[in-house]
Parts: sequence; structure tokens; C-alpha cells
Amino acid sequence: MRAFFEKRAPFVMVFPTLIVLLIIAVVPLIYVLRLSFTESTLSAPFKAFIGFDNFARAFSDETFGRSLVNTLFFAFTVTLLETLIGFVMALAFQSEKRLGGVVRTLALLPLFTPPVAIAMIWRLIYDPNSGLINHYLNNWGILETAVGFLGNPQLAMPAIMLADIWQWTPFTFLLCLAALQALPKSAYEAANVDGASNWQIFRRLTLPLVSPAVIVIFLFRFLIALKVFDLVFILTYGGPGSVTNVASFYIYRVGFTQFNTGYAAALSILVLLLISVVTTFMTVGRDLILKRLN
Amino acid sequence: MSEQTLPNPMPQGNVVSRIMYSRYTRLILILVFAASVLLPIVFMATTSIKQPIEIRESGAILPTRGIFTENWGRAFANVPLVRYLFNSTVVAVTSTLLALLIAVPATYSIVRFRTGGMVLPSLILGTYVMPPIVVSIPIFMMTRIAGLTDTLFGLILLHGMANLPVAVWLIDSYIRSLPVELEQAAWVDGYGRFETLLKVVIPLIRPGIVSAGMICMILSWNEFLFALILTYSDVSHTFPIGISRYEGEHGLQFGEMAAAALTGIIPIYLIVLFFQRYLVEGLTQGGVRG
Repeated sequence: MRAFFEKRAPFVMVFPTLIVLLIIAVVPLIYVLRLSFTESTLSAPFKAFIGFDNFARAFSDETFGRSLVNTLFFAFTVTLLETLIGFVMALAFQSEKRLGGVVRTLALLPLFTPPVAIAMIWRLIYDPNSGLINHYLNNWGILETAVGFLGNPQLAMPAIMLADIWQWTPFTFLLCLAALQALPKSAYEAANVDGASNWQIFRRLTLPLVSPAVIVIFLFRFLIALKVFDLVFILTYGGPGSVTNVASFYIYRVGFTQFNTGYAAALSILVLLLISVVTTFMTVGRDLILKRLN
Repeated sequence: MSEQTLPNPMPQGNVVSRIMYSRYTRLILILVFAASVLLPIVFMATTSIKQPIEIRESGAILPTRGIFTENWGRAFANVPLVRYLFNSTVVAVTSTLLALLIAVPATYSIVRFRTGGMVLPSLILGTYVMPPIVVSIPIFMMTRIAGLTDTLFGLILLHGMANLPVAVWLIDSYIRSLPVELEQAAWVDGYGRFETLLKVVIPLIRPGIVSAGMICMILSWNEFLFALILTYSDVSHTFPIGISRYEGEHGLQFGEMAAAALTGIIPIYLIVLFFQRYLVEGLTQGGVRG
């Protein structure tokens, strides 16, 4: 018995993980795929096989199209800004000994604050009557009237983005910091001896050396940003109109408040396909950028 | 910004950053950073001690009409907050133990014996990257068939399984950095594969296990979507669901909500302060590897 397990140890060790992946990914995905070809509700799944009707409906569903555009726009913008700010800050702090520690501790706080709790606070910050921003902008005479940031079609999305940037910039910052600190010191000593200018060192040494890591950080953060749900749920519930409706939130609405699970399944499949396509494009883009830098 | 500060030669500090910033620029950056991080948190704290009327009328950061501590009492009286915090604690701790129990041997096997080749690691990463909403309907159905909706046990299983890919991914680099010679020596000494894992590998990667555990625990504590669709009542509501329940006759009771939110955030911040080294290490070790 012991010998039996011992001989198959590598497999025995991953076996529970295989079961878990089956339960949370493989089986659900097959289920969703099957569901997407049927008319289904939450209480009565697989009522009738309807072929590609759900998909056809999705392609003419303007709200869905809007939610996809919103998701990509949101994820790309916040990821770009977060990576940029995080990188600039990491450059500033990477040789700080004492203050660097303080900054790193501070950076962990937003990252580990429950998104729901922080979204509640941002709701109050943005509030037209009792909000922090309106209060000070009015007091300082910058604004004449109260602005409801979350109810304003132009401002709602940027408002959500700002909350997201608050929460996630520390993530890109910490990763960029680690990437910078892992750079080989010897290359810099050589450049210093050769009398290279600061800008030359940055442009010819730091940037090419660190960019592979920064691009990975960008891609990774982008993939997480595509999942955005909590902030939208609490801050705007997709509104006003469908200005801040993102894919995850729309699927939630269709599946769990309208109980139309067949259609929600089709939307899920389309979102997954879109994510795969975008990820492939970005990986190709990464290789192109790296080629140009070197 | 970086180009303007270029001409400042720095006498001390290392070359990489000397390039970019003067000492003053750095101090200003630190202040701006600290202020932006702390502002919403401080605003939450001051809101929790403002009178409800004042909250409705003014967004000043400090209370102007005296300190009103009743929000804190009401936060516990009007909503079963203690119950939610208890539920969250049980779910976070137990689901993390579950995730680690499964993840540690699996990661060891994947790294050391290349079990599953290229497929298993990509499947694990893919599961992590996939938006959870995509599988929410089948997860809901399976939970219902198993009779586990609105139970803590159901949420524990789900969080444990959902955090498994994160745990694998975080522990991976720690096992990778171990010299294989140590294990080979153990095998020569007659240790079996399982004994080696238990007595040689696990003690050596303890920092990795701690950081993965902390991160899983915090992720579970903060998790919203599954808690939202799988729990209906106080029996299993967790803290993130609980704090969205401070709606009163006059809309959201922000003072009480802020007090409740702080109550749930403080334990997390304590963990962050005590385990910051592990958290930073775990996040960055896993992150840059890609």
C-alpha cells in the first residue's frame, strides 16, 4: 500500500488539485458552454435547445457591446496609469532605505482593503451633498454648484477608475520596485566608470533591462483589471444608463437578477473568447516592443 | 517629470535612482503618496465619528460639530456585525488552510517532478485569470445541488478552491529556489517522497507558505461576488456583504457604515503590519516571474 503511493507520489500530490480544477474550472466551463445553446432560467436550466440564438441575440445587444467596450477601456486605462505611476514611484524609492520601508508598508494598505468597504467610502467622497471633493472644490471656489460625480455620464467612469487606481497602483509599484532591485549592479558600475550621462544610463541600461518585467506586470494587472466587478456594483450599479456597465456586472445582472442563465452563459463564452484574443494580441505586442528596445 | 530632475547629481545613493530624482523630489513624492493612500482611510475614520446630520450636509474631513461616538454603537446594534465578522473569520482561516493543504504538495510535484508538463501550470494560471463571473452560474447550481447554499461550509469550500491557483502560484518560486541536492540527500538517506516533502521541503519554504497563507486569507476576507450569490441570510453573510446593509430610512447610514467598515478593516491592517515582510515578498516573488 505504502509502496503503491510512494511509487506514484508525484501524481498523488497533484491529484487533489486536479479534482479542484475540475470542480471550479473544467466542469463549469463545459456546463456554461452547454447552457449557452439553450433557453434556461436559474430555476429551470436546459428548457430547450435553441442553437446559436443566444449568441445571435448577443451580437445585436447594444448594452452588451457597450459593456465590452467599457471593460476594455477601463482595464486598459487603469492598467496604463497604474503601471506608469507605479514605475515612476519605484524609480524614486528603490534606493531609499528607511523611507522605502514606510512607503512599502503604506502601499500594502489600499491593496488589502476590502474593495466593498473602500467603494463605500469613495461613494461618500464623490457625493454631491456630503462628499469630500465637492466640499473642498466649493469652498475653494473652483466649483460653483455641486457635482454628482457618480451620477454624471461623463464623470462616472473616471470616478470608478480613480478608486481603482487608488487600490491597485501599490501593486504595480511593489512589483516594479522588486524588478528594479533585481537589476545587476555590475552593469551600472561599468556605465558609471565609462562616464555615461544619467539619461544615457536610464535610456540604454535601466529601460531595456527592466522593460521585460514591467511589461509582464502590465499584462498581469490588465488581466486582473478585466475582472472588475465590486467597484462598479457598489459605486454606480452600472449606471448612469449603462455608462459604467462592465462585462462582469452585465453577466451578473442577466444571470442573477433577470435569471436568464442561458443568455448569461452565451455572454460568458463571448467574454472568455474576447479575453483570449486580447491576451494573444498583447503577448504579440510585448514581443514587438521588446525587439524594438533591444 | 523624470527629465526635469535629471541634472541633479546625487552624491550618495545608488546610480539607478540617482539618475531620476533629487532628494527633495523624492520627499515630495513620498508625502504625496502617503497623503493619497491615507486620505480615504482617514475620511472613513472621521466619518465614523461625525453626526449623521453633519455627514449629510458637509464633506469636511474633520467633524465640526463635536465627536459623535454613537455611530459605533449603532453599527453593532442595527446589523449583526459581530456575526458577519465571525463568519468571515471562520471562512478566511479554514478556506486558507484548505487551499494550502492542497497547494503545497501539488506545487512541489509540479516544480520538482514536472507533473502535468506544460498543461497543468497553464490550466492553473488560466483558472486564476478567468473572471469568476464566467463560472458563477454552474458554481451556484453545483452548490445548490450539494445543498451548500447559505452555509459557511459551502463558502469555505469555494474560497479554498478559488484561492488554490493563487496559492500554487505564490509557493512556486519558493520551491523553485530550493537546491535539489537537499532532497536528493534525503532520498539517499531512505526518506520517501512524502517524508521529504514533509520534513525537508516544508520547513525550508515556511516563509513562502506564510505569505501565501496571508494573501489567501485576505483575499477570502475581501471576496464579494461568491459571497453575494451564495449567501442569503445572517447565518452565512460575510463582512463585505454585511457592510452593504447599512441602508436606512434616509438612505445609506454612512456614519454607521464607516464604523462597521473600519471594524472589519482593522484586523486586516494589523496582519499587514505584522506580516508586511512576508506579504511584500510573496507578492513580488510571484509577480515578476510571470
